[in-house]
Amino acid sequence: MCFATKPTFMLVPRYDSPGDYHMVDQLPNLGREKEMLDAMGMSSIDDLFADIPEAVRMTEELPLPPPQSEEEIISDARRLLGANVALGDRVNFLGAGLNRNYVPASVFQLVTRGEFLTSYTPYQPEVSQGMLQAMWEFQTLISELVGLEVANLSVYDGSTAAAEALTCAVRVHNRKAEQKDTVYVSELVPPSRRSVIHNYTQGGGIEVKTLRHNSDGTLDLNSLSQAAGSCGIYVEQPNPLGILDGGLTRVKEIIGENTAFVVGVAPVSLGVIEAPGNYNADIVVGEGQALGSPITYGGPLYGIFACTKTYLRQMPGRIVGRSIDVDGKEAFCLTLSTREQHIRRHRATSNICTNETLIALMGAMHMSLLGPEGLAKLAQRNMAACQLAKQKLSEISTIAIPHRNNSHFNEFVVELPGSAAECIAYLDTQGLIGGFDLSAWYPERKNWLLVSFSDQTKATEIELLAAHLAVWSTSLVQGVRA
Amino acid sequence: MSHLFEHEGADGKGYSQPDPVAPVDNLQIPSSLVRAKLPRWPRLSEPEMVRHYTWLSTRNFGIDTGFYPLGSCTMKHNPRINEVIAQLPGIADIHPLQPDHQIQGTLAIFHEMQDMLGICAGMDAVTLQPVAGAQGEFTAIRCIQEYFRGRGELGRTKVIVPDSAHGTNPASAAMAGFEIIEIPSREDGRIDLDALRAVVGDDTAAMMITNPSTLGVFEPEIAQAADIVHEAGGQMYYDGANFNAILGRTSPGLMGFDAVHYNLHKTFSQPHGGGGPGSGPIGVKSHLAKFLPGPVVKRRPILAGDQLTSVNKEWWYHWHQPENSIGKVQQWHGNSGAVVRCWAYYRRYGRELKTMSEHAVLNANYLRHKIIEEAEKIGVRHLFADGAPVDVVKHEFTISMAPMKEECGIGAMDIAKGLLDMGYMAPTVYFPLIVPECMMVEPTETESKETLDEFAKKFVEVLQEDPEVLHNAPVTTKVRRVDEVYAARNLTLSYPFDE
Repeated sequence: MCFATKPTFMLVPRYDSPGDYHMVDQLPNLGREKEMLDAMGMSSIDDLFADIPEAVRMTEELPLPPPQSEEEIISDARRLLGANVALGDRVNFLGAGLNRNYVPASVFQLVTRGEFLTSYTPYQPEVSQGMLQAMWEFQTLISELVGLEVANLSVYDGSTAAAEALTCAVRVHNRKAEQKDTVYVSELVPPSRRSVIHNYTQGGGIEVKTLRHNSDGTLDLNSLSQAAGSCGIYVEQPNPLGILDGGLTRVKEIIGENTAFVVGVAPVSLGVIEAPGNYNADIVVGEGQALGSPITYGGPLYGIFACTKTYLRQMPGRIVGRSIDVDGKEAFCLTLSTREQHIRRHRATSNICTNETLIALMGAMHMSLLGPEGLAKLAQRNMAACQLAKQKLSEISTIAIPHRNNSHFNEFVVELPGSAAECIAYLDTQGLIGGFDLSAWYPERKNWLLVSFSDQTKATEIELLAAHLAVWSTSLVQGVRA
Repeated sequence: MSHLFEHEGADGKGYSQPDPVAPVDNLQIPSSLVRAKLPRWPRLSEPEMVRHYTWLSTRNFGIDTGFYPLGSCTMKHNPRINEVIAQLPGIADIHPLQPDHQIQGTLAIFHEMQDMLGICAGMDAVTLQPVAGAQGEFTAIRCIQEYFRGRGELGRTKVIVPDSAHGTNPASAAMAGFEIIEIPSREDGRIDLDALRAVVGDDTAAMMITNPSTLGVFEPEIAQAADIVHEAGGQMYYDGANFNAILGRTSPGLMGFDAVHYNLHKTFSQPHGGGGPGSGPIGVKSHLAKFLPGPVVKRRPILAGDQLTSVNKEWWYHWHQPENSIGKVQQWHGNSGAVVRCWAYYRRYGRELKTMSEHAVLNANYLRHKIIEEAEKIGVRHLFADGAPVDVVKHEFTISMAPMKEECGIGAMDIAKGLLDMGYMAPTVYFPLIVPECMMVEPTETESKETLDEFAKKFVEVLQEDPEVLHNAPVTTKVRRVDEVYAARNLTLSYPFDE
């Protein structure tokens, strides 16, 4: 203990080791407590907490480690996070809805500008025009991408976007619906997304029924007519098996005007695939991540939410509108706030307050750099990698591609001669993150491996996957025969 | 060029991409799905894009720009080391479906965060999955709902919230299917125990409350409130928005709460990012633990055959599904990037997190004192009223502009706009609803005494400003007062390409 070198800290006797001074670079008034307390006529910090009754006071110190300096923290972070296997360390075929697209360096550089990073929700528009305009532009980029009139400035992720879309559909359609409080969701939607949908819909007493798919993975349009008269249906394009389903263009005519057609999209695919708004989707949602954001262990991401004007006043989340200031100059502000919790309280369209603005901003920056043709090329690169892989893997006689005659984006299913879990474990030993074991989603599909390809996938990596799958499956088949 | 969509460069401008790995002239796309027309996105080169967003950033105010006393939002400094750590490939470039043995480092950090948050709030179990405060509220209320369903207490359909509560409280409980009972606060803004007694019963599921209250005042009778709710068989829910005021001095557990959410983007410095991302973990007492959304991180001693790394020499970290989990509220494991940033933040303070709260409270009281003092010096104190009749506040305080509104027609919004002209972000206005013409001021612990002194002076200067000037304010900002009614009446929610 050496107070001689740090005399100001003598005011705070609790600090008894130099190690405890590390937050000195975070607290400007550390060591000036007495001066400030004197000004208020108080004698100690305890006076400031005298209003907390003794019975509920914490009497022990927090049983936590001592403070650390920045250098020690980064060192610990590097040690801990460095022990992880990053996707970039390996040859990676794991996607399942999250894709490791390249995000240009300028996006990361710009998004850390403090004026964006350290601002709050733009409640004071006069000093928040930058973020407001950026989000208004984001809304435009998304509207154009999905082919719908209105987009908000993000919800949490693709799963909550889907859930919010379904509750929104019920609010809009329930009065006229023949099947009250009922929505339909594709049976392929993974349990994790379905669980989010359940949590968001159960409170409103909404029943979630299931839409069947054909054996080739496409939506069963014959049984779809049962959903007519419900409040809405949710399907994905590409679907969770990576299939691009042309049949979805006929959905709206089957379910009818008063049932919301909600489509979950992979946004990059829309560089080559028709915007769902153009085949009469009412609400388009999706996981925005592939545009602008790293995967970051599944969050933060951003959920896309776009719709026709029919749903505008029942949609969740923040919306920026263009306006004018008192001089008649163009200006932007949050609008339609009367839908929201801070005004409407328990009658709000959603409880969402904090959203994913900064990640949406990264999305806007990425989209701005891509431009229309850049998006198309990005989509083509993703699709070409997927298609090349399908061709290469279909040459292996010991594995099958059950939906091979369909069109795929980013991913497809490989049917193995043994368990997908064992195959992934084998590929792990060979330095490959081999894909996703679909039995986690569909328990009866023990041998289904979902393999994913993005713009980052190289032809040589596809060759490597094919070679390892051939070795593993052949040894398994021969082992069985022997 | 001020509009992104006015950049109509040549085809294919933007960042250059490698060619596809295979020819694209025979992509298999169902004919009905071929995109007919590309989106009307702009075409910018990198220099144009960088300049556009840099220009936008100069039209935005952040904590880095200046003092940001936005009450209830805890706009503290965001340490930059946290951003560096969140970009390390060990977090930015990992996938939530990777097996446990490939992500021991992340799981170790998550486990430490669960423990730390539990300790700070006096809770027994924590999930990091909810991605925002409101989602944390919703998640905890769902756990409470399943708890009562499990006990067969299906008649507990009501959630009690004070009229001073954040709007998310009633909105979250309503989303879970509860009926909301709003109880009035006492005249002094505190919880009215008689009003609470009058509404609790065997239909009470929970009470949602924040402490310190939204007036920045500690509720001294919080333990009694908890007793009233518990005796009626209900659960106590702590809205952690104001947790920055009390860390290390008291805890929701000590006050008698059963569940709590944390706003990592308030208390633990995750940057607000203009509206998100946040992170809203929840902590619960043991009786609610088995309902938490899954999975949560657990650890066990190392066994033979475990793949050891530099992280797990003693413990093996793994995901674990709670027994009666409500399921998922976000598809993956929450906003992991935010959790890692906040881990770096908490490591800075460690057991001295208490000092952080002490300084937050010190700064709030000092600023409140200085404003009153500066006003008295020149005899204008009658222009505003304290939002709460107490000797000390916690991390924030409220001021009512009702006297000034009455005297010269200047309301809270006029003062707010006047402060913008002084180079400050305005305090929160018109919240809580129970304080007329309310301004809610939260300086946070990361502002210096000089900043607080200066703000107090400027605040009083604004009070003395000619009413006409204030009605006209702001005049120094990039745009002047924005017409929100015009925006709502002339909805233009995207770029009008045809205009």
